[in-house]
Amino acid sequence: MTAPASNPLLSDRDVDFQLYEVLDTESLCQLPAFADHSRETFTLFLDSTRRFARDVLLPTYRLMDTEPPSFRDGRIHVHPLMRKLYPQLVELGLLSATHPVEAGGQQLPITVYSLASAYLMAANLSAYGFIGLTTGAAHLIQAFGSPWLKDEFMSRMYRGEWTGTMALTEPQAGSSLADVKTRATPVGDGTYRITGSKIFISGGDQDFTENVVHLTLARIDGAPAGTRGLSLFAVPSRRPEDGRLVDNDVRVAGAIHKIGWKGLPSLALNYGEGGDCRGWLVGEAGKGLAHMFQMMNEARIMVGLNGVATASVAYQEALAYAQNRPQGRPAWEKDAARPQRPIIEHADVRRMLLRQKAIVEGGLSLLAVASWHADVAAHGKTEEERRRAGLLLDLLTPLAKTFPAEKGFEANALAVQVHGGYGYSSEYLPEAYLRDQKLNSIHEGTTGIQGLDLLGRKVMAAGGEAMKAFTEEVGATVERARKAGVEPAWGEALNRALQEVVELTMELGAAGMAGEVERMLRHSADYMELFSVLAVSWRWLVQAAAAREGLARGGEGRDFYEGKLAAAQYWLNTELPRVTHLVALCRSGEDSYTRMRPEWF
Amino acid sequence: MKILVTAKRVEDPESKIKVKPDGSGIVQEGLKYKINPFDEIGVEEGLRLVAKHGGEVVVVSIGGKEVQEQLRHALAMGATRAVWVNHTGPLDQMGVAGLLQKVAEKEKPDLVILGKQAIDDDQNQVGQYLAEFLGWGQATFASKVESLESEQEKNKVPALQMGADNKSVRVVREVDNGLATLECALPAVVTTDLRLNLPRYASLPGIMKAKSKPIEELTPAKLSVDVTPKVQVLKMASPPPRKAGIKVPDVATLVDKLRNEAKVV
Ligand SMILES: Cc1cc2nc3c(=O)[nH]c(=O)nc-3n(C[C@H](O)[C@H](O)[C@H](O)COP(=O)(O)OP(=O)(O)OC[C@H]3O[C@@H](n4cnc5c(N)ncnc54)[C@H](O)[C@@H]3O)c2cc1C
Ligand SMILES: Cc1cc2nc3c(=O)[nH]c(=O)nc-3n(C[C@H](O)[C@H](O)[C@H](O)COP(=O)(O)OP(=O)(O)OC[C@H]3O[C@@H](n4cnc5c(N)ncnc54)[C@H](O)[C@@H]3O)c2cc1C
Repeated sequence: MTAPASNPLLSDRDVDFQLYEVLDTESLCQLPAFADHSRETFTLFLDSTRRFARDVLLPTYRLMDTEPPSFRDGRIHVHPLMRKLYPQLVELGLLSATHPVEAGGQQLPITVYSLASAYLMAANLSAYGFIGLTTGAAHLIQAFGSPWLKDEFMSRMYRGEWTGTMALTEPQAGSSLADVKTRATPVGDGTYRITGSKIFISGGDQDFTENVVHLTLARIDGAPAGTRGLSLFAVPSRRPEDGRLVDNDVRVAGAIHKIGWKGLPSLALNYGEGGDCRGWLVGEAGKGLAHMFQMMNEARIMVGLNGVATASVAYQEALAYAQNRPQGRPAWEKDAARPQRPIIEHADVRRMLLRQKAIVEGGLSLLAVASWHADVAAHGKTEEERRRAGLLLDLLTPLAKTFPAEKGFEANALAVQVHGGYGYSSEYLPEAYLRDQKLNSIHEGTTGIQGLDLLGRKVMAAGGEAMKAFTEEVGATVERARKAGVEPAWGEALNRALQEVVELTMELGAAGMAGEVERMLRHSADYMELFSVLAVSWRWLVQAAAAREGLARGGEGRDFYEGKLAAAQYWLNTELPRVTHLVALCRSGEDSYTRMRPEWF
Repeated sequence: MKILVTAKRVEDPESKIKVKPDGSGIVQEGLKYKINPFDEIGVEEGLRLVAKHGGEVVVVSIGGKEVQEQLRHALAMGATRAVWVNHTGPLDQMGVAGLLQKVAEKEKPDLVILGKQAIDDDQNQVGQYLAEFLGWGQATFASKVESLESEQEKNKVPALQMGADNKSVRVVREVDNGLATLECALPAVVTTDLRLNLPRYASLPGIMKAKSKPIEELTPAKLSVDVTPKVQVLKMASPPPRKAGIKVPDVATLVDKLRNEAKVV
């Protein structure tokens, strides 16, 4: 069964609110990089993408979920619909939207692109996945590749003629990329002979374009062990030779059967089984991981957006279902002959819906502000502005990746729950979105790895400067909320929680400096949780402020603003107080799981 | 080949439309607007024709400054340039047709394509008036052949086809009892029906190119058209809300009710 055509995927009103009322996205157009843009170009682009997502992509979602790619005769055959969808996605201008005009792009702010692409992800994340991977791979060549690679590979990828992949993971090297073993042996003509195996490579083969370029991490012969020995290579499935494409000895060893993202094949690949796989070095030897990581913020923001999008589409399903499913009567209704009421009239169902709303819209707001800082970090007016935005972006990225993945999963489970028994059935869509969502806490750095990154690196960065910038941002929001007439207790509570987190961070930092690394990182999961709650509370306070400002302007749209204030109240009253508890846990000597020995399980 | 296409600004049917308490109009605040979907189909058809025969698509819209949004939308889809007739205040269908007549006489297109109606007030009059004012042939409700088995559909024959010498147009129209095919000498006026085509989505490169495409500003005075309305809107009101349905025990009761209460059978 397909989704009702009416699923809006995301709320258009909310997207506009995030862009123009919470943030002032139009002001980005004052930066020289975005001078060609205006609210009008943003609106036209958002309009095209959201309509395409609803009219074209959404109806294909279930078909691609139920008919995953097949592996026959050594090749992957994806759903035949991709033959039509991919060129249409390319035609919209998604591949190079945010890139410089010189690279064939349109210099669209990432802030706008992010929110627009969320519709595509919500409609059919697998179909959009091919675009995300190709643009990521092409961007690496654009940033670090030789002119020849740009001409031969990148331009074809941006034109939609070839697709791309990110090939990092190996069976023994998932979270630990330092253990990558794939080898690169210089051939003497500037190219390298590649041998090795990769696993889980998404989009690693398909049958709707003539070629795939794998941006591959490998170790040049003689390079040191660890991450510093890794280099980045462009390895096409078919290589250009004498003006035509010849087989480049990249073999599909198998397709992984997955619980979600079923339209996008994830593959085991073998390079150079026949000794004839060529790779081209991208950027500097030994800088492979560093080059990849330069794109990492963007990639992780994309994962976070996927998390929000997948939670959002399910929330919209649940909302429509709750308005139409009659079941039960109010507890105080004694007359069983009276008709049953739509379940949205039960407070507990509204609790589940409001929690989903708080997660989806709080998450979207977090992604929007992280994207905003990505834009300013790249194109801000002054060096100082760019540096500060960069620090904030680095700090927000693990949160913007993890919160939607973890809490989004909870929101997706609630969407199933609102559907009752029908939610557990594959006749309805929420179960599929629940399966899709799980990936987001695993790829692009697991939640565990994100927690270590946040506490071990990001909050400590630049001698605490990132934390200081974050504190200033929260302070500005508290002030904005006060002026707008938001419930003063909310701002005060946020300030107090922030203070607790700052103090905790200094303590844990000091422990780390004193060599007590285990104690510092022991509660990294709790730290990730409390910082996520704090950051999303910040986003709910700023939304409350913008809603109050909207109400003060008067006129239509009251319902929307009242809904925002109720969701802000829900989050700030029920979630924010958890920060204190989690801070105490991080401080305490609570050591059950660190003490726990494998043999005790 | 030059094709003139209209791009009316209409309320987005997805926004909640409410009549003002005094019945003088609808509440505009908080409404979203878009290009009339039938006009969008017209722009698409125009673009397909010039892709095949060469030439340009010129879009025209009448209204205040805000209609430039709809013109930009059409330009982003691929129209070459735009004409904006700057007019605020009441305007009836004859006024619109009068303005379009002057624009058409100025632009001298081979074909004018309009939506068969606009989805705001669903009038279905402007195309017909315009053909009459210009003294040109008209083919309304251009539509696509529906039967997938038909020869035209199998051979992907479009519903709008130019004659061999580009002096005539063959139009498949939707009529009450099926499809009719008309041949008109050019210049002519065509209005679009829903099934004519699926309009393209404006691409980001198209959107950026549209920024530098010219929009020429005209006014009723410059075009010497008196747009004083002959039709007066007295009052607007929402249709009465639908009453809840009832369940009938059996078919006999249903037939009885249809015959004696509703008096429809
Ligand atoms: C559907 C799908 C698509 C993918 N697409 C791609 C792709 O396109 N390209 C690509 O290169 N990769 C891809 N991956 C791989 C993905 O990035 C890895 O699965 C991920 O990095 C985790 O590695 P792993 O699976 O080996 O798990 P492991 O690293 O074995 O992790 C297992 C568990 O141990 C924990 N753990 C591991 N190390 C530590 C540590 N040091 N400290 C604390 N906890 C730790 C992890 O948090 C996790 O919970 C994809 C994976 C999937 C499932
Ligand atoms: C795999 C499976 C096996 C099953 N096996 C059996 C079986 O063997 N025998 C059998 O008889 N049934 C069986 N069921 C049915 C199951 O018990 C029902 O699905 C369950 O009772 C929920 O009813 P519902 O699906 O109609 O959801 P609904 O009652 O429509 O509930 C939808 C949502 O509304 C909420 N809600 C409903 N009413 C209220 C209220 N008054 N106040 C607050 N919230 C409310 C619910 O909590 C839920 O979140 C099975 C279901 C599944 C999925």
